[in-house]
Amino acid sequence: MHIRYWEKLEKDPFGKTGLILVIFFAVLAAVAPFATQNPTAQTPLIFKPPSITHPLGTNDVGQDIWSRLVWGARTSFLVGLGVGVLSTLLATLLGASAALIGGWYEEVVIRTVDALLVIPTVILVILIAAFITPSIWLLIVVISLFRWQGGARIIRAQTLSLRKSMHISAAKSFGASTSYILFRHIIPDLGPILVVSFIYSCRMAIFMEAGLAFIGISDPSVISWGKMMHHALNFYYLDVWKWWLLPTGMALSAFILSFTLLSYCLEEAMDPRLGEGNA
Amino acid sequence: MKRKVINYAVAFFILLVLNFILPRLMPGDPLSAIYGEEVLVQMTPELKARLIERFALNKALWEQFASYILSLAKGDLGYSYYQNAPVSKVIFSHLPWTLLLMGLATVFSSVVGIILGIESGWRRGKLTDKTALTGMMVLSGFPSFFLGIVLLLFFAVALGFLPLQGAKTAYGKLTGGWFILDIFKHLVLPLTALTLAEIPANYLLTRNTMIINVREPFILTARAKGLSDSKIRYRHAGRNSLLPVVTRIGIKLGIIVTGALFVEIIFSYPGVGNLIYTSLLMRDYPVLQGSLIMVTVFVLLINLGVDLIYKKLDPRT
Amino acid sequence: MIKSRIVLSIFLTFLVLFLTVVLLKTDISYGQIEAITYTIADTTGDWGYPSPYTHYCRGPGYVRMSFIFDTLVWKARSGFIPLLAKKWHYEKEENAYIFSLREGVSWHDGEKFTAKDVVFTFSYIKKRPTWMVDSSIVEEAVEINPYTVKIYLRKPYAPFLNNIACTLPILPQHIWQEVENPRGFQKDEALIGTGPYRLCDYNRVQGTYLYQAYPNYYLGKPEVERIKFIKVSEQIAPTALRRGEINASSVPPETVKDLKKEGFQTLTSSGSWNAKLMINHTKEPLSSKKFRQALAFAINREEIVKITQRGYATVGSTGLIPPSQEYWYNPNIEQYSYSPAKVKIILESLGYHKKKGYYWKNGKKLTLELLTSSQFVRVAELISQQLEKVGIAVSMRSLDSKSLDVRVGSWKFDLAVSGHGALSGDPFILNKVILGEGFISARYNKNELLNKLLINQLHQMDREKRKETIYKIQKIYAQELPALTLYYPTWYWAHDGSLNLYYTRGGIAFGIPIPLNKLCFLGWRRAP
Repeated sequence: MHIRYWEKLEKDPFGKTGLILVIFFAVLAAVAPFATQNPTAQTPLIFKPPSITHPLGTNDVGQDIWSRLVWGARTSFLVGLGVGVLSTLLATLLGASAALIGGWYEEVVIRTVDALLVIPTVILVILIAAFITPSIWLLIVVISLFRWQGGARIIRAQTLSLRKSMHISAAKSFGASTSYILFRHIIPDLGPILVVSFIYSCRMAIFMEAGLAFIGISDPSVISWGKMMHHALNFYYLDVWKWWLLPTGMALSAFILSFTLLSYCLEEAMDPRLGEGNA
Repeated sequence: MKRKVINYAVAFFILLVLNFILPRLMPGDPLSAIYGEEVLVQMTPELKARLIERFALNKALWEQFASYILSLAKGDLGYSYYQNAPVSKVIFSHLPWTLLLMGLATVFSSVVGIILGIESGWRRGKLTDKTALTGMMVLSGFPSFFLGIVLLLFFAVALGFLPLQGAKTAYGKLTGGWFILDIFKHLVLPLTALTLAEIPANYLLTRNTMIINVREPFILTARAKGLSDSKIRYRHAGRNSLLPVVTRIGIKLGIIVTGALFVEIIFSYPGVGNLIYTSLLMRDYPVLQGSLIMVTVFVLLINLGVDLIYKKLDPRT
Repeated sequence: MIKSRIVLSIFLTFLVLFLTVVLLKTDISYGQIEAITYTIADTTGDWGYPSPYTHYCRGPGYVRMSFIFDTLVWKARSGFIPLLAKKWHYEKEENAYIFSLREGVSWHDGEKFTAKDVVFTFSYIKKRPTWMVDSSIVEEAVEINPYTVKIYLRKPYAPFLNNIACTLPILPQHIWQEVENPRGFQKDEALIGTGPYRLCDYNRVQGTYLYQAYPNYYLGKPEVERIKFIKVSEQIAPTALRRGEINASSVPPETVKDLKKEGFQTLTSSGSWNAKLMINHTKEPLSSKKFRQALAFAINREEIVKITQRGYATVGSTGLIPPSQEYWYNPNIEQYSYSPAKVKIILESLGYHKKKGYYWKNGKKLTLELLTSSQFVRVAELISQQLEKVGIAVSMRSLDSKSLDVRVGSWKFDLAVSGHGALSGDPFILNKVILGEGFISARYNKNELLNKLLINQLHQMDREKRKETIYKIQKIYAQELPALTLYYPTWYWAHDGSLNLYYTRGGIAFGIPIPLNKLCFLGWRRAP
């Protein structure tokens, strides 16, 4: 199926909002080095309310909250996109190949998928992180390892149905190899599903990274919104939550929301049964 | 059905292997990895020898694994040196609170989500639907722990009458109805946070299924028969919309467990989530590993139960 | 319509429940007990079953046990005061302490307390040491008569009164003589002591303790009939105090001012605990004394206090002993006030030259690895910032505290931030953290004179002479700098004034800085 993504996104108010938000955060993350002061510099200006030099005030060690917020966007983006790409890649490769190759290979993949789907990802990451302090890259890899299953299922199902379609059979009768079919036909046709799966993985990853950082599992050299909220929560009885805890939480929610909106809009576009006015 | 059981068994097995391997991947001997150097310094040689015996650390790897599986089968989850108690005892004392919290949150969020989803799906495109949908969308962006934080701030800073911590008033000497009310009072905030976090997903799913169902021929038939709107909504379309939500509960359970983990931490609610957090901080590995196994077993069992219910609910199978 | 009915009923149910809670909040009062109850809040909650063998090996665990078990000697506002022992003196020639025990003391189960119990305790702990008491210096305890005990020491031991007589809980012989495994002994009989309180209830999960006064206590029936420990986080404690839900708690420093204004009493304590920079003096370039001194000049400890502790701490003394230890503290030692200029002089004399903002030697940039646990991340970050500014490159790594301890213990580090307490008690702690084996110790024995002085001070029974030795130790330690004390955090407690709480001089038992001395609870609203 072929969808005109941009058309859909432009028309639908949810899609539009989602897109605007994502672009906003992307720009924010990109200009981080220019629009901010040193986010890690500790100064004696502790718990200062918002001012011109510190638009969101300072935290308990005098660091500029606005700068940390912006740099935190980078981390969320990095993890979101990283997991999105990696897990979608894994899902595609394993899901599609399982459908095409079949046999015991398919059995093994399905079993692994179903088995890993039930275990809550957070639990597994906590277990691993308890023993190995994660760097941000390890975190991305580990989260991806337990996130690709969802997409793989759908991709496999779709590939199975595609396999029987006309143009694939035609290609096969011309002697096309499995990998040729995979890369030239299946994957382009899977386009919409991949996009949705990608966006969904991004969203989950952002939530997961923030949540894990909140309970203390994160790369110590990286600024994370979850960690900021964790620190800020320790001082919630002071006024400082207004410009420390709340903006960070709102930023995180807005960022997650943007992906939710995008995926909802595209899912609706993809499923004709949800379309407007068809009876 | 049998296939599902095998899947769950495989999942559980993977977790056990992970649990087993991780401490042995750490530098140093597994006993230090499990109990930490600080604790080892205080251990008497007799206790050390007993623990090495119990973990079979002086034997070959596969023998260790065998003894590990064996002790798990006996229900022996290990011993927490920090808490000076068997891990299973520690976990089971925290379990009821988590079950209470999660159970109620699942029920409430499902009921509210389904009803709102049905209503919304029925009126697709109209103002009510649009408002509800927008509201739910916005709500879905908030992670469960931020919702908890917002509630905490609101009731800590603004209003002051709900307890911000714990599951019950210590030594309140309350009995019967008062006791239940006291527990409920402590439940309100964490429960609200967790429920609110779960409603959007249920709502969206129900709404989508509802929209699809409304187009189905059988609804047309029902209309033609002259059935009232609400009857059609709930008895016919609604019931079919129930199926995906029920199936999803299994998968959603993982998310609810995660949500419960965060909410318990914020409100210091003495459930298994809080236990995992504190044992993570202390690196009390036996308790941590035991809790994670417990949680996974729980999730798997519920999934199994859901599969059985699904068979009953779906008239097609 | 059915649909609106359903939605409406759900909303109404919630509303009703909510209102019930609101309306009835005043009726659920906290503790409708007629007895005088004192409620104390604690962040952690659970500190173990309060027997001498099962409480967690930390100050708060000991304190909860101390309400039930008495020691021979105790501390209050100043000096040592009699508890189970009426009087005592030291026989220099025999190197023994003679304790005259109080008569008419009964155990909680009614049995009489006699010298037999003391003798039994000392011999029992030889094979089964209790937490926090190292009795290896004790040769043996001998009963002279039913109310006199003579305790022979292997060598003269200055910290005996503080660390043993004041810390060792006396066990009832008639109960513990049968007990093979003290750490597993968690029955009711394990909590039979001679102290002013008995345990009513302990809930591990909730982290709560309930104590009941023992009416036949030899110092008089405690006026506080019940003591409750409940688990409340420090951040919520001020609110709980204001609501009247608790009587006392430790509180965050920022809340002290407001609490004082509202009429609450506050207590301040500093100098019992220190955050320390551990230095690996076994490897280059940290093995050079001058280099370590340069480090001390490069680290601005005032700034660390001002920023990471927001001013709620005292700057560390390079001699380890804090200024609050008025008797032992040596004020005339080199404190290495922050001076990048002096850093430059020393480093250049060691062969370093500055290039592009950093110090180089033999073609290599001077880089140090700084380890920290999550507890001290802010401190480590600031130290890195300071060192980098001066020209020393730092690579910082944050580990969980277990891994950190292992690495420090096996010398796989350059610099590490950690901390320890016991600084407000007896200066025996100097030996533990300078010559001792564990990872909280500097494990430094390269200075012969320092070693000699440290060993001497333990056996110096003359207090004035011991003070001289301790002064010398601090001076040399400040020159050698095998570790650098960064700051002593200041801790705050607040209470409603119904009891006259205070910080025990020298800490409870061997030096626990918690203002919960059991003697306070004997008198309600009066000065002890």
